[in-house]
This record gives sequence, structure tokens and C-alpha cells, in this order.
Amino acid sequence: MTVYDLALQQLINGVSLGSMYALLALGFTLVYGILELINFSHFNVFMVGSFVAFYVLEGFGVVGQNTIMTGLPLVGVLLAALAVTMLVTGGIGIGIERFLLRPLRSVKGPAAMILTIGVSYVLFNIIVLGAGADSKNFPNPLPPIAFTFGEVVLRMREILIWIISLVLMGGLTYFVGYTKLGKAMRATAQDPEAARMMGIEVDRVIMMAFFLGSALAGAGGMIFGLYYNYTSFMIGFSAGLRAFTAAVLGGIGNVPGAMLGGMLIGLIEAFSGAFIATAWTDVIIFSLLVLVLVFRPNGLLGRMAPDKS
Amino acid sequence: MLEKTGLEGGHRDGSALLEFQKVNTYYGDLHVLKDVDYFIGKGEIVCLLGGNASGKSTTMKTIMGVVRPQTGEVIYDGKPISKMSTNDRVKHGIAPVLEARRLFPRMTVYENLELGAYTQPRGPQFDEDLERVYELFPRVKERRDQISGTLSGGEQQMVAIGRALMARPRLICMDEPSMGLSPLFVEQVFDIIQTINKQGTTIFMVEQNANMALSIAHRAYVLQTGVVVLSGPAAELRENDDIKQAYLGEMKVD
Amino acid sequence: MYSATMQMLGRPFANIPPKARQALGLVTLAVVLLLFPYFHNNDADIASMANAGAYVALALGLNIVVGFAGLLDLGYAAFFAIGVYYYGVFTAYQVMPVWSSGWAPLAAVGLVEKINQGGPDLVHFTLSFWLALPTAALVTSFFGVCFGAPTLRLRGDYLAIVTLGFGEIVPIVFRNSDSITNGAAGLNGVASPSIFGFDFGVDATPYYYVGLFLVALLIYVSIRLRDGRVGRAWMAIREDETAASTMGVNLVNYKLLAFAIGAGFAGMTGVYYVAILQTATPDMFNFNVSAMLLVMVVLGGMGSVWGVVVGAFLLQIMQSWLLPDLNWMLHSIGELVGSVWLQNVDMVKSTQLIFGVILVFMMLFRRDGLIPATRKTPPLDMIQQAAQVQRGGFVGMEKIGRWEQRSGNALEVKDVTVRFGGLTALDRVNIVVPEGGVVAVIGPNGSGKSTLFNVITGLVPADGGSILFQGAELLGLAPHTILEKGVARTFQNIRLFPNLTVLENVLIGQHARLKTGPLGAVLMSPAGAAEEKRARQWAVDIIGLFGNRLAPRLAQTVLGLSYANRRRVEIARALASRPKILLLDEPTAGMNPNETLELAEQIKSLHDLGLTILLIEHKLDVVTRLAQNVVVLDHGEKIAEGPADVVRQDEEVLRAYLGRAGREHVAAVHAKAAETTVAEGTGDA
Repeated sequence: MTVYDLALQQLINGVSLGSMYALLALGFTLVYGILELINFSHFNVFMVGSFVAFYVLEGFGVVGQNTIMTGLPLVGVLLAALAVTMLVTGGIGIGIERFLLRPLRSVKGPAAMILTIGVSYVLFNIIVLGAGADSKNFPNPLPPIAFTFGEVVLRMREILIWIISLVLMGGLTYFVGYTKLGKAMRATAQDPEAARMMGIEVDRVIMMAFFLGSALAGAGGMIFGLYYNYTSFMIGFSAGLRAFTAAVLGGIGNVPGAMLGGMLIGLIEAFSGAFIATAWTDVIIFSLLVLVLVFRPNGLLGRMAPDKS
Repeated sequence: MLEKTGLEGGHRDGSALLEFQKVNTYYGDLHVLKDVDYFIGKGEIVCLLGGNASGKSTTMKTIMGVVRPQTGEVIYDGKPISKMSTNDRVKHGIAPVLEARRLFPRMTVYENLELGAYTQPRGPQFDEDLERVYELFPRVKERRDQISGTLSGGEQQMVAIGRALMARPRLICMDEPSMGLSPLFVEQVFDIIQTINKQGTTIFMVEQNANMALSIAHRAYVLQTGVVVLSGPAAELRENDDIKQAYLGEMKVD
Repeated sequence: MYSATMQMLGRPFANIPPKARQALGLVTLAVVLLLFPYFHNNDADIASMANAGAYVALALGLNIVVGFAGLLDLGYAAFFAIGVYYYGVFTAYQVMPVWSSGWAPLAAVGLVEKINQGGPDLVHFTLSFWLALPTAALVTSFFGVCFGAPTLRLRGDYLAIVTLGFGEIVPIVFRNSDSITNGAAGLNGVASPSIFGFDFGVDATPYYYVGLFLVALLIYVSIRLRDGRVGRAWMAIREDETAASTMGVNLVNYKLLAFAIGAGFAGMTGVYYVAILQTATPDMFNFNVSAMLLVMVVLGGMGSVWGVVVGAFLLQIMQSWLLPDLNWMLHSIGELVGSVWLQNVDMVKSTQLIFGVILVFMMLFRRDGLIPATRKTPPLDMIQQAAQVQRGGFVGMEKIGRWEQRSGNALEVKDVTVRFGGLTALDRVNIVVPEGGVVAVIGPNGSGKSTLFNVITGLVPADGGSILFQGAELLGLAPHTILEKGVARTFQNIRLFPNLTVLENVLIGQHARLKTGPLGAVLMSPAGAAEEKRARQWAVDIIGLFGNRLAPRLAQTVLGLSYANRRRVEIARALASRPKILLLDEPTAGMNPNETLELAEQIKSLHDLGLTILLIEHKLDVVTRLAQNVVVLDHGEKIAEGPADVVRQDEEVLRAYLGRAGREHVAAVHAKAAETTVAEGTGDA
């Protein structure tokens, strides 16, 4: 494999990983943009999402890598899995906001953040107890079609991942940019008090942000399974931390920033894995996080959070 | 003191649109509004004057439902609204022009106007309202696609007033509409306020610029450390030297 | 029911004074713990206790960072790892350079030994456990400073995520440095400690005693730090950074100090912990450890030393005793009722579920923890409580003495300009405050008065001009340095340290005038103790100025004070710093006329004592009463200056306050209004 082939292959891998990180980063950014809260429960909402997708796919009789589907059944099963996953994780997000975080909204200090760490642990352990601590062979019903360019392989799953994330990110961009509720969401992020005075129901907007962020994290969890062929209760932490880095890198609170940051982190992971060493990937990513926060705390595209003094 | 001025305009029928009845408001244990009564008649321009820290902004927040009175009642259109949410108040026709404009800085002028109409159904009515705002402020129409944070202070004030009009308000509450504007622009803003009022919208205005506010208002209240110390027809208050003292913070020790 | 039981239980001890009761409790606890291995001679349980000791020690360290200084560190386990590997690497048979004569001096003091495993002679490090404990504290403190330095300027939530990143990086570095740490396989053969020829070996009891000593030491250090100048500075930072810096606390130094001391605790504990285990792998220090320590601190009560000890101990005991016991019970029940599920339940697996639930519940229902960090202050004697408010100024002024009289100008603000984006908040403003004088600044909202105070006290940078205080430039200095020079202030919206007591708030005011550092506090130097005693007396004297408004409330947290009393405490806090000039930002705001008059007279008496005062005030008769000179600001410009009586008649001033209406426009509108009135025939103006 030449260096160019290797680079092209890593570009393909990086974009797939990047799509996943971007979906996950969007959840951090939506919530942070409005509440200035680092939502640690998001790490494991993502993980739960991959398990929901796992069970839905198994429910359709797809087991491991051996059940191949084609045509409409394939599309139907994938869409159903995606929809159920996003609804379930979105619901979890709403539950966390409504019942746990809302009572703390007027409490200053780190209480809300500490609470989300606790929620993250609870989700984590529910999966350990319910599904077991072993890694699961993630079902993949895609036909094993691959396009090869020299030694570079582009599999169906990559194309699927790109389609899913493109549609979701496009949908979110449309929602935030052009719908009434989306505009209300942006307005709330920019000036919550003024937004309330316009008659915007801020509580509803916050709930919506949690729902969307968590639903996208669920989709990210399903993509994780499709990409790596496995899932486990452990996947939330490192993926979540990378996605948070992505959100900060792009400018936290900034929706296009989260997408850009996610892509960059995915590419960095793919290329550093191939050209440096996988063992150092996390060190590189976290060092980047520290450098960004210290030297460019507003990220590449600008921080967009309420400026409370 | 609370009698109507006699300056009865065409649409002013002497009935109240908004009333404060013995309202007391607190921040923690800080007593801000003390037994405050206001009467804002339909179709009037009423201004609330007062120096720093007199409770003007708290009055605004109480009207919008951001701060709730501990005792007393706020009556809007004959019904008590102390328990009504801000959202419902806007829906029922109370729209604010916030202190220091408070536009959504990273959204376009058009989006800001849209958000002003958040509680209104989208339809032909929206287009009518938009047209009306553009007519009042041709400048706003020119700038509709500009990011509002990049507008000048005066232009922002036009958008802020336009945004309030988009809510189809019966009552517009303005918090310091002249603050931070150049003297020339202050005059324009006050002209516009009069125009809007003539078109049938009641105006309640918190203002530090007493001379200007009294020149267009029908009636006025003067607030000092949370107590209404003077009230009456604007024309009378213009001649009253006590206002000066109220503004400069002279107080009487019990 | 509960309180009745407590009363019954407490009755036999009711007559013992609280201090003696505390001492009695401590001695009892110490005796029980010292004798524990004798009346409970079970090696596994003693080992659990020794293990719990390590976590108590770690939680105490994290409490310094999170509880005292309010810096949310989610990667604290990194420092623990550094301590572990420091001792591990220097005793295990992992790093063994080839022997040369250069090593001989080190061998002579016992730090290395020459060994031969076939092949050339090699160096084996033999760092003594007893030497490793203190040096590990130094080494990890150094790393604490290194990790802390780039992160300290970050917002609190970013700090959490960056420390989380560091917490991940450190174990990865250990894992990837195979040649030094043996990578993922971990260090083996870490030396067990020995003392006077007695090797600790694998018996748990000696470790238990070392752990007990370590925990006792760290509790002692925590308490000494908490109750002195250093701890107060940390808590001030936790409560309000801006206010802390304007009261003389060097934010960077004290945050780094918290990181360093917290890290030092973890380093010592690491040495202790690896000596017990005699092995170490990088996986022992992942996020779960940091998070578990956070759970311990949160459960016990952030900032509460004894709370954290209890929290950590409870959680450790839960893990090593309670859950296995519960397992055994559930399995027995399962066998009895024939439930396969119950027989296979493993409660130990639910540890993290329990952690999560604890975090959620504590945050929702008991944020201050099991034992909240209420800090007691000695009650007042009757004489102090009997202090009465008198009209006519402060009481007990003789206790604070007169200010040194100087001539010339205390403060000279020259052509100072401050811009925020496009807005000019101050435009070439000039103000002179003569020594011993009182100058008032007035002006409508948004005229730049508070910005003026902020630029003088270093909270906002100037875009031009100069501010001389007693001839020396203030611009460019940090807020805490400006306070040290003798400029103290209050804030318009009151910035006290809400969860600290009145006395503590006022003590923090003296921060810059005291010297005791962390070492002095821990070693209880006589100078330090005397200084602390003087500081407390001075604080009580200052608070006493306000008579019985504040004196009976010394030990109350300021959160519970009335608005007017909070203003008084803020003035007392500023006075406690022995300022040469006092900047008061609307001191009478929110006060009723009587309170206003009382405070005005008190400010007057400060002036009589010779204190220089710069005052922002709206109530003109207060200004008239106090100030020789009044400066009027409008839109950031000085529009008038002079004695109060002159200024209040000034046309320009009246226009600033009452509005800059174009005169012609006003006249036109008036005319129109008059016409309408006349035409309608109802006018009665």
C-alpha cells in the first residue's frame, strides 16, 4: 500500500469517524449553547443508543455479520432501527432534563454538571447489569459490497454512515436555521431573557435541545456499531470525550462548528492512528483540546454561548 | 392624582388597560416597589420617570411577568394577570421594547422581527404587520438581511420597536428607549412612539430623559426608591420643580 | 423522635464544654482505631481498612482542590498515578542502567544498589519508602503546578474537561513508556517498606498503621490550612473570584497552591498504596478513580474535612464489606426461594450504579453533603454583644486609630479612557482626590461611574491615560496588587463571599496584611498563631464599629443577612484591609432613610479619622453632607465638578439627568399639546 493509498483510506475512515463525532458533538453544543452545561450524561446516552440499535436489529432477526439483507427490507430495517434508537435516546434526554436538571437550573456552581456525571454512571451500570459486560457483535445486514481503488476499500457501510449523518446534519441545520422552534432555540441561546420576553417558552426550547442532542447521539451510537462491528458498555467515555473536544474545537455552542470539529477529530484519529501510533491517539487529541482551550478558547468558528458575566 | 388628564384622544375612552394595585415587589429581602399604583388608560402614552435605582426596571419586569409581586395585583384589560406566564402576556398583547434594545445579535433583522411575532400565527397577518413595520422604518427594510449585532444603536432601536410591533400589541412597554442614542435620534424615536400611539397602541414608557418623555406623554408617574412620589398630567409635571429633586435623589428623612 | 433520641444520648455529655467534648471524641476515635488490629485480628479486614485509608487520603487531597478552592478537577487520579509510579519505578526491577563508578555515592547513601543478574553489573534503585513519602509530595506538587498553570485562566467548566483530559493522558503515557513502566503489564516487585530492619512484607497490620498516620497527618494539614489565611483565600476564590482578587488574593498563586497541595496529598498516597499492592498497572488510574473520589467528596460534603473522611470511608467499606455481604445474603435467599436470578446477582457490579445514584441524589436533595462544611466561630462574650448603635457615627473608633495624615493628592485619575467594543465608557476623565478628602462621583445610569471604579481597581484595562495613587501608577497592576497598595472598594451589587461568615468575610479583607503561608499554618508557628489572633481581634474591632448591627452576627453566613447588613459587611471587609483610600460604590443603595443617615454619619466619621474616600452616590443630600467635591459623569465624560450645592444647579447636570431633549422640539410639542388642550376645552393645566 502506497502512502497515497494509505492516506486515501484514512480519509475514508476519518470522514466516517468524523460523522459519528460530529453527531455526538452536536448534542454537547446544543445543550451548552443554551445552558452553559457540560452534559456528561451525553457520553452514555450515546452508548445506550448503540445498544438500543443492537437490540432493534436483533429483533428484526439480524445477527452478527451473517444476516445479509437487500432492497426494501434492508432500508426498512435500517430506518426502523435508526428511528427507534433516536426516539429512545431522545426520550432519555428529555427525561434527564425534565426530572433531574430542571430542578437544578437556578442552582449556581457545578451541581448540574456533577449530577450529569452521576446520570452517566447510572446509564453505564444499567447496561452492564442488563446487557452484560461483554462486547456485543453488532449486527450488520449490509451486503458485503465494496468498491476498490487500488488497495483502497470503500465499503457499503461507509456510504451508509455518510448518508445517515449527511441527512441528520442537514435536517438539523434546516431545523435550527429555518423553523420557528429552531429560531427560538437560537434566540434563547443568544439571550434567554429577551427570548422569554418575546413569548418564547424557554422550558420547551431547552427540552427540545436535549431531545435533539440525545437523538443525534443515539444515531451516533448506531453508527459506532455499524463502523466497528461491536458495541460495549465502555464505548461512551472515549468517544464522548473526543466529541466534546470536537465541539470545543469548532467553537462550543456553534452548530456548524460542532460538525467541522467532529470531522477534524475523526480525521486526526484516522491519520494519527495510521501514521503515528494508535496508542498515542488519545494523547494527541487531548493535547489538542488543552491547546485549543488555552490559546483559542472560542474555537475555530467562535463560541456561541450566552455571555453571562 | 390618578384622574385622567382630560386630554381625551379619539381612541382613549378613559378605561384602564393596565393597572397596578398596591404592588409590592422584593428581590430577596430588598423591597423594591412599595405599594405602587399605576393606571394606564387605553390609548394613552404614560411615562414612568425616576432616577437611578428607583424601581423603573422592576416595574417593567413586573408587567412582563419576569418578577412577580409579593402582594398587590396587576390588572390587564380588567383581569388580574399576576399569575400569568410571560408567554401568555405576550400572546394577550403586551409587548416589550427592552432596555438597551437586546436584539438577538447573531440573527438577521428579519429573524428578529419574526421572533417578535413568535406568539402570533404565521399568515397574511404576519405580512401585513411586516409591511407596517417596514413603512414606519424604511431603514429596517433596507437592512432586513443584515446581522443585527452589526447595526448602529439607532438602527437597533428601530428594529427593537419593530420587533415589539410584530406581536400585534395593545400595550407596548418601553424600557429607556432613548438610552445611549444620539440626541438627534432620540427625537426621531419619540416621534415614532407618538405615531405608533396615534395608530392605536397604548404606550407605557420607562424613561430617564424626563424632558423628552413628558413632551409626548399624556400622563406620568415619578418613582423614587420604589415609591410613587409624583403623578399627574404630563403638562403639569413639566412645570413641577419637584421632579428635579426626585431625580437628583434628595430624600426626606422621616 | 430522632432529636429526642439524640437528646437522650447527649445528656451525659451535656455538661462538658464543646471543646473538651470534641477532644474527648477525637481521643476515643484514635484509641479505637489504634487498637482495631488487636481486637479484630482478621488480616483481610485490616487490609480493607488500610485500603480505605488510601482513599480517605485521596479524598482529602481532592477536597483541597474541589472543596476549598472550588476548582473542579476530574483528573485527580493522575497525581495518584504519578505518586505510584514514582515509588514503583525507583524500587522495582524495571529500570536498571549499567553500573558505573558514578553510582557509588548514591549507593553509599542507600538510594541504589549494585546487582548482577548475569551479564554486566546493573544499578537497582532502592528508594526508601520513608524518603519516598515526602519527596513524592514534592514531585507530584510540581506536576500539579505544571498541569494547573495552563488551565487556571479557563472558565470553571472548561477546567473540568481539561483536567479530565490530563487524567486520561497520564495513564496513557505510563502505558506507552514500556521501558520505564513495563507498559500495560505493569510494574512488579515494588519494594515493601521496612523500618529498623523490620520488613513490612505482606502482613496488613503495619500498612494499616502507616495509613492511619497518613490520614491523621492529612486531616491535620487540611484543618490547619482551612482555618487560616490560606484556606480563607481559597474559599474566597471559590465564592467569588473577582471579589477575592479585589480583596488582595493573588488568584494564580492560590489556585496553583491548591493544585500543588492537592497533588502532593495524592502523591504521598500513591507511594503508600503501591507499597501495599507491590504492583501497579496504568489501568488502576482511569476516570473511574477520579470520579469515585469526587463521589466521596460530594457525599461527605465539599469543603468539609470530616465529611470527606466519612464519605470516603463509607464508600470504601460499602465496596469491600457491605456489597460482598449483601451478595452472600441475596444468594442465600435465592437458594432458599429457588430464584436463579437472586443466586446470580452480583451487587459488586452495581458499585457504579450506587455511585451514580449517590451523585444524583446528593445534587438534587443535599448539595452540602452528609456533614456540611459549617465552620464554627467562637461565640461572643456579653460585652461584645452589648455594643449599641449610636447616631453620630461609628462606635468604638478608638480601637482602630487614626489614619496617617499626608499632604498632596491621594489619587489622580488623568485622561483615562475605557472602551468596550465601540462604546466609550470613559472618555478622558480627570479626577483628583486629595489626601484625607472625600470626593463623590454622580451621574445618570450608564454614565461610567462603576467603570471608573473598575479601572482604578484593575478589573478592566484602560485604553489610555494614567491613574496615580500616592504618586505611583496603578494602571497595569493586578487587582490584588492594587489592594496591597491601599486601595479598597465595595461593589454596587454587593460581592461578598456568600457561604462564609461575617467574621470570615472581614478576615479575608486582611489577606494582604497577613503573612502566614501554608507552611506556617501547618507547623503552627508562634508568629503565625499570634498573627491570626491579632487578625481576629482587628476583624472584631472593625465589625464592632457598626455596633450591634453586626457584632452579634459574627458567626452567621452573610447569605442570611439583611440587605443593609450585607452592605455594612462589605464596608467592614474593605476597612479591614487598612486601606489608604476607600472606594464606596453606592453604599446606601437599598437602605431606608434612617439607615442611610446612619451610614452617612459613619462614613463621615471615617473621614474624621483621616481616611480618604471616593464615593459613588445617588442621594444628593448624602453627597452634600459628605463630599467637598462632586464630579458629574455623563456618557463617560466629566461634565461638571465642584461643591455639591453648585453642581446641583448646573444646567448641564440637570440636562444630563432630566434629558437632552432638543429644546426646539420640546417647545414645539408643548405648544401643540397646549393647543389641543385649549381646543378641547378640558385643559386644566
